[in-house]
Amino acid sequence: MKRRAFLKTVGAYSFASIIPSFHHSIIPSLLVPMDDAQTDHLKAYGLTYRAIQAGLKAEWLLNYRGGSFLIPDLDALRRDAALNGIRTEPVDSAMTTVRGEIEASNMDAVPLEKAPKVAVYAPPNAAPWDDAVTMALQYAGIPFTKIWDPEVMTGSLKDYDWLHLHHEDFTGQYSKFFLIYSGMSWLAEMVQRNSDTAKRLGFQTVPDLKKSVARSIHSYVGNGGFLFAMCTATETIDLALAAHDVDIAATFADGTPLDPDADAKLDWSQAFAFTGGHIETNPLVASFSDIDGHQVNGGARRQPLGAFKLFNFSAKIDPVPTMLVQNHRQVIPDFYGLTTSFNRNRLKPGVTILAEEEGAPWVKYVHGDLGKGTWTFFGGHDPEDPQHQIGDPATDLSLHPHSPGYRLILNNVLFPAAKKKELKT
Amino acid sequence: MSRSIRLALGLIVALPALVRAQAIGPGFELERSGRYADAASVYFTTIRSDPTNIPALLGLERTLFVLSRVSELLPLVQNARARQPDSPALRSLELRVYAALNEPDSLEAIARRWAASAPQSEAPYREWGLALADRRMWDEARRAFLVGRRTLGGDVLAIELAELEQRVGNWEASATEWGRAVTRLPDVEPNAASQLADAPAPMHDRVARALTAPGVSVRTRRMASEVLLTWGQPNEAWAAMEPTLATTDTEAPTALRRFADLAGALTTPDGHRVRGLALARWADMMPGSSGGRARAEAVRELLDGGDKAAARRVLEAHADSNGIAQAALIHLLIADNQLDIAEERLSAPATAITADDRATLRLALARARVGRGELDRAAAALGNDSSVAAIAQRGWIDLYRGNLRNAMEAFRLAGPYALDRAAATDRTAMMALLQRIQQESSPHLGAALLTLARGDSVAAIAALRRAAARLPEQGGRLEVLLIAGQVAAQKGGDQELTAIALFDEIVRIGGEGAAPPAAELEWSRLLVRSGRSAEAIPHLEHLILTYPNSAFVPEARRVLERAKGAIPKS
Repeated sequence: MKRRAFLKTVGAYSFASIIPSFHHSIIPSLLVPMDDAQTDHLKAYGLTYRAIQAGLKAEWLLNYRGGSFLIPDLDALRRDAALNGIRTEPVDSAMTTVRGEIEASNMDAVPLEKAPKVAVYAPPNAAPWDDAVTMALQYAGIPFTKIWDPEVMTGSLKDYDWLHLHHEDFTGQYSKFFLIYSGMSWLAEMVQRNSDTAKRLGFQTVPDLKKSVARSIHSYVGNGGFLFAMCTATETIDLALAAHDVDIAATFADGTPLDPDADAKLDWSQAFAFTGGHIETNPLVASFSDIDGHQVNGGARRQPLGAFKLFNFSAKIDPVPTMLVQNHRQVIPDFYGLTTSFNRNRLKPGVTILAEEEGAPWVKYVHGDLGKGTWTFFGGHDPEDPQHQIGDPATDLSLHPHSPGYRLILNNVLFPAAKKKELKT
Repeated sequence: MSRSIRLALGLIVALPALVRAQAIGPGFELERSGRYADAASVYFTTIRSDPTNIPALLGLERTLFVLSRVSELLPLVQNARARQPDSPALRSLELRVYAALNEPDSLEAIARRWAASAPQSEAPYREWGLALADRRMWDEARRAFLVGRRTLGGDVLAIELAELEQRVGNWEASATEWGRAVTRLPDVEPNAASQLADAPAPMHDRVARALTAPGVSVRTRRMASEVLLTWGQPNEAWAAMEPTLATTDTEAPTALRRFADLAGALTTPDGHRVRGLALARWADMMPGSSGGRARAEAVRELLDGGDKAAARRVLEAHADSNGIAQAALIHLLIADNQLDIAEERLSAPATAITADDRATLRLALARARVGRGELDRAAAALGNDSSVAAIAQRGWIDLYRGNLRNAMEAFRLAGPYALDRAAATDRTAMMALLQRIQQESSPHLGAALLTLARGDSVAAIAALRRAAARLPEQGGRLEVLLIAGQVAAQKGGDQELTAIALFDEIVRIGGEGAAPPAAELEWSRLLVRSGRSAEAIPHLEHLILTYPNSAFVPEARRVLERAKGAIPKS
């Protein structure tokens, strides 16, 4: 899916939707409400995904009852909803009223047609920390493929519409856990696996490999891919891109000390979201730069958690950010990650802020365009585990079926499914 | 004396020290910033005007060592020592300077000269040895300490030798020296035990042997017990401790209390047991109520440790005068299935047991009688107790006799809050079953449930199936079969097939009650447990879609998620 075509489509659909549609009037539909009436918000995304995956047409009713979905009223979908405990409401005759309300308000209806092919960039082994996106996809029942460095370097990214970055450290410093967790078996395995992969793919060091992977991902987005990253992947992929010709890795990672003038040599024009960051040079501090506002491992620099608020966009004018912030809650408790938030003064001009902590110098959730594609960065590790520690058990999402933080992740998964219809000229 | 005069005198007294500190202040700052040569210049300047300024000399020791210029310090130290020959600080510094210059002969000569001037002091030998140890000259350091020991006699310098041997890795020798140290100086014991606790695992046996060898002191053995507890060896620890209690000494209570506290960190049955043993001994040494409390705690620990005999011994020795001990002893007898003796003690007219404890014991005795199938004696044990707990217990006795109507009435009277949550849940579940049964009496069902209560699962399954066959399909049969199926599923092994057959039968018959969805959920769980998740999925889907309003649906969804691998195991 190409972003430009998608935007044209959304614009066209907004215009077209004021015309009564034959399609709308004759096919009975099920409304999947996404306000507080919903019994499982997260699985509702999976139901909608499976509907469009089966070749059916669905609609995303932006800002209508928490960002509800409209799917065909078919036995198979009713069965799916019943099995998964998802609330649906038949809306045959009421749809005319609903559409009238949508037209008259800051709402819109966006068709969803093509189920995006989802890839999750993650190492083949299990890391001692959970991954919110993987868990959300599994819980919602949205299929995905795990890929890693060999697949990225052999050009497999083009086979996917949407890419999520696991908690990878693209500076190649093993999240700077190398010295802190020295002797832990999971770290030894991580180092061994990365080193072996770098050698196999012809790179001298792991930081060199990760920089190259970061550039491939950058190209993927430029060519129309959708990128979603959380936690430390957000900050480190930009650092890796900006440091294409600079050594920013500590000695333990590549055998050479980092360039003492690294800050001055960083080329931020290559980065997605950030600019002007300063590298954290202490190898014992598991922090990468001053991009992160919270500095969870930064000792005295660590900031307490607050709550972040979603922006209210104009659904008819800004459908993309509107999709990304669909939720039944507007204020969401914050949660730590190795990168928790993004300092405002490190954001590039033109970056769209989707959520922020009011009055704080940082923002939580940002989005932007690159070439034909888009990227979205969401700070923090696990929306339902604000202090997730290494070795903690994975979050059981069946205990958090209404999680507003996880909804933001799933908004990202579904928004590439939005129909792109060429604007009529 | 006026306040101002006192202040002035105070300033006069403090002035020399103040001036000395101020003089080398810039040197400290330069040292902190890593400018050692500049710092040394400041210290040299200070020494020129004040040759015995010890802070400045120590500053030079630090900075000149970094600058590899220690030789410049020697004449200054010699000069200072000549001016103040009795200063131990200057003597020590001189020894360290010789050690840093790698002149062991001069070092020894200086140490011996110092020792000659202070014939009763350990300090010359200690500083001599430590100066060598700091230079990692282990053998020479050991020799220095041993020279001191030979000269002064006794076990002097044991701490220094213990630490030296530990640094070298001679843990056995270190243990021996720590034993000497604690024998001589009891206050050293916590530090000694803490140091020895760090011994690597392969050395534990040797260290333990050194600390418990024949002839070692009581304090050494007690230290051994602490070290063994730290290593997680409670039985060995008690074996080290117990012989030290043969004769009473003033340190024994403290040692026992410390032992009990350390054992409290262990969660193994042996840990509980030895803690109980220590507390029991400690309680005997304590007067009044604190001894009683400790004894009660000891009994609990002994029971947690599985040593009923020891717990009973403790109780029997003190049961005559103490109500808590009497009650605990009867509890123990009931747990030991010595019901007649327990009943006899409970019925004794002159006991100190409180009314509440007595009621609790009657209930426990009644339950134990039920466990032996002695329903009449169980009812008799309850006497005329009208508490809700007793009413609930009578309900069970009625149920096992087959009197369903009386059982239902008793459960209803007892209400939903009697006893603990598990007991209340059991009663509620049984009431739900009884509501489905129209008959007022069913000796077969009562006997089957009694068999189950007595723990004979296999016989109970067969008896429940027979009892179910006598009930109408929609009049309790499915519910009774469900109990049989649940018992069989829990039993596992060959009984799993029985369980599946029973669940299958219940699901096929279906109907209005809660049994069919419950059976289908149990069936699915059984399949998931045995690694057959794919077979469980259609059952769970059937349950959710067929009984959408059942209370089992949320749990069925959860099991379905697990079966599909959509949520992590927790």
